[in-house]
Amino acid sequence: MATNKLQVAIYWGAACGGCDVAVLDTNEFILDLAAAADIRFWPIAVDGKYSDVEAMADGELDLALFNGAVRNSENEHVAKLLRKKSKVLVALGSCAHMGGIPGLANLATKEEILLTAYLANPSVEPGNQTIPQARTAIDGMTLEIPYFFKRVFRLADVVDVDYFLPGCPPAPVQIRNVLLAVVKGELPPRGSVVGASDRALCDDCPRTKSEKKLKAFHRPYEIVQDPTRCLLEQGILCMGPATRSGCGVRCPNSNQGCRGCYGPLPGVTDQGAKFLSALASIIDSKDPKEIDEILAGLPDFIGLAYRFGLPASTLQRSYR
Amino acid sequence: MEKPRIGVFVCNCGTNISHIVDTEAVRAHAQAQPDVVVATSYRYMCSTPGQETIVKAIQEHQLNRVVVAACSPRMHEKTFRGACRHGGINPFLFEMANIREQCSWVHQDRLAATEKAKSLTTAAIHRVRHHRPLNSLSAEMCPTTLVLGGGIAGLTAALELADSSNDVVLVERTDALGGNLARVDLTAPHLDSARDLLTEKLTRIASNPRVTVLLRSELVALSGFVGNFTATIRGPGGNGAGPERQVRVGNVVVATGYQEFDAGRITHYGHGKLPNVVTSFEFEQMLRAGRIETRDGRLPQYAAIIHCVGSRNREFHPYCSRVCCMTALKYAHELKSANPACYVSDIYIDMHAFGKGCEEFYKATSEVKTLFLMFEKNEHPVIRRAGPGEDCDMLIEVNERLSGERIEIPADLVILMVGVEARSDAAEVARLVNISQDREGWFMESHPKLDPVATTTDGIYIAGTCAAPKDIPDSVAQARAAAARILARISKGRIEIDGVFAEVDEDRCSGCRICNELCPYSAIEFDEGKRRSHVIPAACKACGACVAACPSGAITGHHFTAEQIHAQIDGVLA
Amino acid sequence: MSFEPKIVGFLCNWCSYTGADLAGTSRIQYPPNINIIRVMCSARVEPDFVLRALAGGADGVLICGCHPGDCHYSEGNYKAMRRYPLLKTLLKEYGVDNDRVRLEWVSASEGQRFADIVTDMTERVRALGPLRLKTDLQTDRVER
Repeated sequence: MATNKLQVAIYWGAACGGCDVAVLDTNEFILDLAAAADIRFWPIAVDGKYSDVEAMADGELDLALFNGAVRNSENEHVAKLLRKKSKVLVALGSCAHMGGIPGLANLATKEEILLTAYLANPSVEPGNQTIPQARTAIDGMTLEIPYFFKRVFRLADVVDVDYFLPGCPPAPVQIRNVLLAVVKGELPPRGSVVGASDRALCDDCPRTKSEKKLKAFHRPYEIVQDPTRCLLEQGILCMGPATRSGCGVRCPNSNQGCRGCYGPLPGVTDQGAKFLSALASIIDSKDPKEIDEILAGLPDFIGLAYRFGLPASTLQRSYR
Repeated sequence: MEKPRIGVFVCNCGTNISHIVDTEAVRAHAQAQPDVVVATSYRYMCSTPGQETIVKAIQEHQLNRVVVAACSPRMHEKTFRGACRHGGINPFLFEMANIREQCSWVHQDRLAATEKAKSLTTAAIHRVRHHRPLNSLSAEMCPTTLVLGGGIAGLTAALELADSSNDVVLVERTDALGGNLARVDLTAPHLDSARDLLTEKLTRIASNPRVTVLLRSELVALSGFVGNFTATIRGPGGNGAGPERQVRVGNVVVATGYQEFDAGRITHYGHGKLPNVVTSFEFEQMLRAGRIETRDGRLPQYAAIIHCVGSRNREFHPYCSRVCCMTALKYAHELKSANPACYVSDIYIDMHAFGKGCEEFYKATSEVKTLFLMFEKNEHPVIRRAGPGEDCDMLIEVNERLSGERIEIPADLVILMVGVEARSDAAEVARLVNISQDREGWFMESHPKLDPVATTTDGIYIAGTCAAPKDIPDSVAQARAAAARILARISKGRIEIDGVFAEVDEDRCSGCRICNELCPYSAIEFDEGKRRSHVIPAACKACGACVAACPSGAITGHHFTAEQIHAQIDGVLA
Repeated sequence: MSFEPKIVGFLCNWCSYTGADLAGTSRIQYPPNINIIRVMCSARVEPDFVLRALAGGADGVLICGCHPGDCHYSEGNYKAMRRYPLLKTLLKEYGVDNDRVRLEWVSASEGQRFADIVTDMTERVRALGPLRLKTDLQTDRVER
């Protein structure tokens, strides 16, 4: 396949499909891409087999975009395969970057998850006793399905990743810019986060900010918002200060707090812990009892602080 | 960054460390760590030959990092930083492992203590790799000083500074200078006149053009940092709303003094109810008027002095007010001089006579026939009106400690030696100038023994009784010491600012303003134009609150960076 | 071999670290299980430090600062006070027993108190047994 067209693969691991849609959401650009590139493998859009990829020479691909977390042996297998076959491997979206929403499953054990999904769920057929096994013997033959891991991993936990393009999903314009950078060979040093700012969301957020002191936390429906003022100052949880900008301030512009999908700022090792430190510091009380009362207004803190990054956090998972 | 070349120096501290910690094993362990070029142990690392070992090793092995495993950094960090400087490397490329106070002195198991010493040393090695050279900055030093309080301490400090040709702004809340000293007649133990002591100061203040005295004025705000404060002072006016003025000052002497204990709080002394029970300050008034008499104008036949009113008592103040014992003896002396026939009883807990000339004064006074009665701490003598048949006005019941008997003594005049306490507005002053108070409300020194006039806020000094009860000589000495400290800084013209402070990387700051409210020193400013926060290095005390809170990781706490502390954590767990 | 817990202590320079030094100068004995890291103020202690210590093999973390009202930096310890309950909530959600992380106020004069806290904490953590986060995280990589 001698061609000077860019050889591209796009794959989804444990993902919702949103990242693939975001690639399509680059609109007319996708046509330019199709013209400038050979899309060699893209399960959601193009028919193809793993064996097609396995048949490629090492480094034959110029670019592989991997979205989704690594939850099972299939995800890992393809991750390793694409790593081998591609010159550049990009973790596309929050799941590949930090574990994403699927990463929250690290709060439960594999057994709990399978139990809930296959036995204890009201939507399963009553009396069902079957939990899928990686290997099942049928008529003297062995049926194999991917092995469900004990926990969720980031892409970088299983292979070396060249670039991280964050977001749930990444803003289409950012995907476009990164693809253009690949075409032009203008990529930053390997290991970089691309398609995102080195400053927090607040830098781009149009809301006015002043000094912060918090007496109470509110859910968005509980108060009448001032649409021009910083959400956090109004007691609405917003991860913006602890999250890279680059999304176009999608959530605060929709009157919702930032959920943190673009991940931590450069040099920050644990996004949730950093947010905790900032948030608690501005609580307006010196009385332990009152502090507890104010904090009681925060439901499911781990789900908030690590909504997109539990597997990327320092502790990575639950130890119950 | 150049490749680290680390030297590790393990101190035996005589046998203080080596009797529990196998320092040779620690040395060998350190030697085996990556980047460690040389590891030595020595008897006393802090001694001159010990420090020379470090200097020589730096030069011989081209070290660019030094670790000393010895005592607490609070003890010798400065010493070894000095050695590093002598050796030719930046003093901040140094780290200490505390294997004495926090290891050999608190553990007995030799094996465990040695393992711990290895861990602490390893952590220091890990950390020092990430150290960066830090250099001090400098800023202007405004030569004007603000003195708060026109008592003996404030006056002394103001004169000391003005006499060296520096401007002083002296702010006094009342309408006259002199403070509590102006309420006193003679002073113990030498019986000098307080008026004489003060007049000399007041005349000099009045004639010194360098001193601006602002009466009926108070400080309402202080911003900035050492060398560069702006003080807002409110002058006299209706209902505390007088005109405000702003003065630029480099340093502040807080000499706001004390207030007397309210004797009415001890109900069974009857102050305010029994007409002839007076406080020491009320008695001073009599002395200054030259008439010692009861309310109805009689000469007292029986006078009683009760010590420790509000002091040395678990209900009120646990501390000794220091000045009352000698003042009480002065009263006994003056009562006897005015009327040799007067029976004087001195009812005390312990006689504290520690000052110069005080014990002698006690001896001399006790010879003039004063009846001394000792009572138990946390107990009170009880005063009641005498019956119609008695030849005195009141009777005092004392559980006398030396005889063990319950003694009743007559009295026509009772003098309560009221203690001194922190002023009720001390908290407000502390907040304005950003200094701390102890449990009793006294302003806190930077170090109670070694740095008694400085406070934890650079450029703010304390003098006199706002820091603790003290007598006139001590107040004067402290005021002069504060002035001397300030003069030394003024004479340098500029101030050095320690290289350890927080710094905002403006390329990383998002302007979220989370840090803005957190700094107790108002060292963080928000630039509305740039929409970025930044730290004023001279105002920063390097606590690290903003560093920990910055959700972007955009603030670096120099010398306590996340990467340095992470390395140390990894090191102790290695 | 009996289990010896590893405890990492973060102590503020002005009160607690000085208090720990005083325990030393007073020769007050306590278990050697704690390794102390000095910070200028308890407000410098990031929740991230605690997590890092636990993930790195610590069985417990002790944070000590000046008593409320006595902070050298006037209010730094209140920042620690505010972060601590939220950190405990987070740890609970991670399934880490709250007794493994402790915030205590120790003044410069409380050498004995410091020794008592370390002794008590060492015993409590010993009773809880090893935390093993470090080995668990290593095992995760091998046995998916």
